[in-house]
Amino acid sequence: MNDRTTTASRRAFLRNGLMGGAAFAAAATTGSARAAGDPAITEVQDWNRYPGDGVDARPYGSPSSFEAHVVRKNVPWLTSDAVSSVNFTPLHELDGIITPSGLCFERHHGGIAEIDPAMHRLMINGMVDKPLVFSMADLKRFPRENRVYFLECAANSGMEWRGAQLNGCQYTHGMIHCVMYTGVPLKTILAEAGVKPEGKWLLAEGADASAMTRSIPMDKALDDCLVAFAMNGEALRPEQGYPLRLVVPGWEGNMWVKWLRRLEVGDQPWQQREETSKYTDLLASGKARRFTFLMDVKSVITNPSPQAPISHGKGPLVVSGLAWSGNGRIKRVDVTTDGGRNWHAARIDGPSLPKALHRFYYEFDWDGSELFLQSRAIDEQGFVQPTKDELRSARGSNSIYHNNGIQTWFVNKDGGIENVEIS
Amino acid sequence: MSRFPKLVFLLGLSVAAGAGSAGAVDLAAGKKVFGKCASCHAVGEDAKNKVGPELNDLIGRTAGTVEGYKYSKAMIDAGAGGLVWDEANLRAYLTKPRDLVKGTKMAFAGLKKEDELSNIIGYLASFSKKAAAVEKEEPDTKAAAAEPAPAAADKASSQAASPPGAGDGLHLKLGRLATEEEVAAWDIDIRPDGLGLPKGKGTVSHGMEIYDQNCASCHGDFGEGVGRWPVLAGGQGTLRADRPEKTIGSYWPYLSTVYDYVRRAMPFGNARSLSDDDVYALTAYLLYLNDVVTDEEFELSDRNFTDIRLPNEANFIEDDRTDEPFYAGKSEPCMTNCIPGKATIKMHAAILDVTPENADEDDQPAGGID
Ligand code: HEC
Ligand code: HEC
Repeated sequence: MNDRTTTASRRAFLRNGLMGGAAFAAAATTGSARAAGDPAITEVQDWNRYPGDGVDARPYGSPSSFEAHVVRKNVPWLTSDAVSSVNFTPLHELDGIITPSGLCFERHHGGIAEIDPAMHRLMINGMVDKPLVFSMADLKRFPRENRVYFLECAANSGMEWRGAQLNGCQYTHGMIHCVMYTGVPLKTILAEAGVKPEGKWLLAEGADASAMTRSIPMDKALDDCLVAFAMNGEALRPEQGYPLRLVVPGWEGNMWVKWLRRLEVGDQPWQQREETSKYTDLLASGKARRFTFLMDVKSVITNPSPQAPISHGKGPLVVSGLAWSGNGRIKRVDVTTDGGRNWHAARIDGPSLPKALHRFYYEFDWDGSELFLQSRAIDEQGFVQPTKDELRSARGSNSIYHNNGIQTWFVNKDGGIENVEIS
Repeated sequence: MSRFPKLVFLLGLSVAAGAGSAGAVDLAAGKKVFGKCASCHAVGEDAKNKVGPELNDLIGRTAGTVEGYKYSKAMIDAGAGGLVWDEANLRAYLTKPRDLVKGTKMAFAGLKKEDELSNIIGYLASFSKKAAAVEKEEPDTKAAAAEPAPAAADKASSQAASPPGAGDGLHLKLGRLATEEEVAAWDIDIRPDGLGLPKGKGTVSHGMEIYDQNCASCHGDFGEGVGRWPVLAGGQGTLRADRPEKTIGSYWPYLSTVYDYVRRAMPFGNARSLSDDDVYALTAYLLYLNDVVTDEEFELSDRNFTDIRLPNEANFIEDDRTDEPFYAGKSEPCMTNCIPGKATIKMHAAILDVTPENADEDDQPAGGID
């Protein structure tokens, strides 16, 4: 295979977007090349003749230059300033269940704190027997765990409450990532300080310029939370909270306080800005739900999708996507090609871990006709992913957070794809 | 990490301005000096009496009073006579033990160097609760403190070998006590019941001055928000509207959140720069902009703070998502012929044309979907 030709033609296709001719042009090139003998085969390529870089050229490796388009992207109009903003994971370019560290979406409220780990401290105070301070070196002397978890921002898909808005699963669903964390169980660290019996809530605080804070119920803190210092085997990335972050499996991403510097034990929640002004879900009635921590069962087809149209014409097609639930494992994912009239059980491949992304595939022979692609996840507790209309009829359109509705991609005859809502 | 000695400042008057200043104590160096004592003394968590008594909480301790240790009569008499360990008499004792306590059984020649004396005393003070002068401590040293007591160190490593996840009941005695000053420096959160409010006060009119200088450039003269910067005032009665405006006055349940958030995170770009009184004044002004108070001379303080309630407090409810019809049933979803007729599009994302894409590729036709 000639990577360059394939990539180039795909990129040309992407550039031309829905203007369907591109698919034909690409097919024709491949066809004629084959007739004359594919130059990728018949000609000696540079990389086959000249040695490349030695081992010292890339002491910390990065992706091929042909993958330079695979990056996180911002939607500038969403927030007031890039320092307090969000960018999105390019889900349509990824496979499997692990997100590469450098592509994990970013959401921070005061920019990326750049912290010297020798100057970082974790304090535990409040309703404890002994207020304690740990250095990073101290924390690395506790027994630790490795766990794979998804992290989803509560506002993921939030722009879609009022209807289809953004063309690409990177934008509609890209505030999620899934990595392996290495860290110390939070309960181990809390036991070191001794939580008093009245201690029912925990306040987690970051060391960044927003001094991010969230109140977390003690039951959750003592259940499966981690104080993590590594992701995907290496130190956390600065934008993911280096040197220390909280991991709150299955719960909204804002609670996973990055640059974690303090844990305070108390008998009531603190009602911080991020749990009153933000991360509360306004209903049509004018009431607002608060402490909606759990991320509900959800899925999305990542390929094909608006940023990754079908470029190969009819024939064998791999539909691929992600499913997840804050309740645990995914039991089943169904895929429809006719907008929910008929569903087919998809194939989950790779590890099925609680509160982690699940990768699903549905392979079929595309006849070139229009499709309405959707996926629907069911978790191990029996919760079924609802439709967007079901969500809206229960909540209205101003909730911002916790939109886990079924996503529809419309596939036209040329393989171009749009985010639509259907009836 | 340990390539450079770390300076920590104890005992003293002085948070060290630099190495060598009079009150500066080098804890790492102090720990090293303790090597000369460690054959006879232990200090730190779990420290036991050895040849000599354990040295925790030494500062402020009456000489000759550690329980279970057999002192010389001389040391017991010295304690009974009023010898309470402090920096000055420790300096004397450790220079020439028998000059200070004639007949002590501590067979130690004494330290001669001034800096060794300062550093060892500072190091010991860091394990003394009563060393009020102790301000900060290098946390690494606490773990290291187990060193002179082999029993404690053994215990730690054998527990560390227990399987990961065995969190309950596990105590490794890692970390160190946080000092009151340290807790005060970071613990600035405030709860609706007023817990955490600092002493202080500020008026609406003073708040307006501070606001105009520090806040209005982003949040607007009346809290209306400049451009996309957040709106802070107005919006009352819009929560059921098509486009609700959520502000302090229209949406926020508690005033404590305003004080807490402004103090920890505003002004954006210069957090933690406002005094407690400034934050009272700004909070008062934000109440005024939201018509919760109307008197320009109104003064907000730690004393009247919790009297003030925000209008929307009652409209927050707990999470009841599992009662929603599509979750409550947990029914097996339909697989075939679920909806009659063919699917039809009722809304296209492309119509809104808000997708940011390839803005950097100049050969990109505007309005393409990718
Ligand atoms: C060879 C053993 C030995 C060494 C080395 C030694 N000590 Fe001692 N130390 C003792 C003994 C024994 C006593 C009890 C003295 C007594 O009862 O008269 C003592 C007593 C003390 C006391 C008084 C404690 C009390 O409870 O009143 C202090 C303080 C002290 N030592 C500090 C030090 C320091 C600091 C060092 C190192 C610079 C040191 N010692 C080195 C054996 C030693
Ligand atoms: C440089 C622009 C800027 C300045 C100056 C500024 N702010 Fe802000 N303010 C912001 C941004 C940005 C946010 C949202 C931060 C985030 O997303 O977490 C914010 C949020 C807030 C909020 C919470 C709004 C909400 O609805 O949740 C309050 C209250 C606030 N600011 C008050 C102040 C006060 C008081 C001052 C002056 C001392 C101030 N701000 C100065 C930019 C600014």
